[in-house]
Amino acid sequence: MSLEITLLPPGQGSQRVVVAGRLDTHTYEDLDEALAPLMTTQLHSLVLDLSQLEYISSAGIRSIFKARKTLAAHGGKVLVVNPQPQIQKVFDVVKAVPLNDIFGSTAEADAYLDAMQRKVLQGDDSD
Amino acid sequence: MLIRLIVPGEYARVEDLNASLEAVLNRHGMARAIRDDVRLIVEELASNAIDYGGEPAAGTAQHELSVDISIEDGLLHLEFRDTGAPFDPLSAPEPDIDADIRDRAIGGLGVYLIRQLAHRITYQRIDACNVLRVSLRIPQPESEP
Repeated sequence: MSLEITLLPPGQGSQRVVVAGRLDTHTYEDLDEALAPLMTTQLHSLVLDLSQLEYISSAGIRSIFKARKTLAAHGGKVLVVNPQPQIQKVFDVVKAVPLNDIFGSTAEADAYLDAMQRKVLQGDDSD
Repeated sequence: MLIRLIVPGEYARVEDLNASLEAVLNRHGMARAIRDDVRLIVEELASNAIDYGGEPAAGTAQHELSVDISIEDGLLHLEFRDTGAPFDPLSAPEPDIDADIRDRAIGGLGVYLIRQLAHRITYQRIDACNVLRVSLRIPQPESEP
C-alpha cells in the first residue's frame, strides 16, 4: 500500500493536506516533496488530516518534525486532525505533536483557526 | 516457532517481509494493534540494518535479514537477525522527547519506539549476526473472564 496526498485549496495562512494510507520508510519522501512548496513564511497553520492514515513509523514522524521545525522558525504550527489508534499511539510515545494541536475533526480545527484569525484581526495578542 | 522469514537487506523486500508476517499473524488471530506493532518493529529494525549495516561480507551481494516469530504464554516473540556490522540498538542514547521542536532532533525515534512498545528486549552478537529479541504482550480480549 502506498500513500495518497491531497492538497486542499489554501485558506488565510492555513493549508489543509489529507494524508491517506501508510506513512513510512517507503513513502515519507512523497510527503516531504508535497509539503516543501507549501512551507512559506505566509503559512501559519499546516493542517494534516489523518482520518484515513492507517499506519505511521518513525520515518513518517521525521517528516512531520521537519514540517514542524520549518514552520516553528516563523511562529507557525502543524495541526493534526483525527489520528487513528496506531498513529495516536506512536504520537503519544514520542510526543510527536503537542496535545493541544491535535483535533478530533476538521470542524474543530477550523473553529480553532477561525478563532486565531479573529484574534489577529482584532490585534488581540493578550492570549 | 510459527515461521522464519529471510529476505535480502533491501528496502523493497521489507514490505514483502511485513506482508508475510501480517498474513501469519492474522491467521493466528492476532489483533490489529499487535500486528501494527510488529509491522513497526520490523520496519524500524530493517531500515536500521539496511542504512547502517555497512558493506556485506565478501562473496555476498547484500546483507540478509531474518525474522523468527513465535507465540508462547501470552507473549509474541520476534527474533530479528541481520548480517550487518555489529550494532547494539539498545546502546543508542534516548532522544529528548520533551525538548522544544526547534531544538529537537528529527531522528533517533525508531529504537525508542521499539523499546516503549516491547515487554522485553535483548541484544546479542552471535555468529557474525546482530540478534535482537523482542517480546510483546498479546492483549487479551476484554470479554474474557
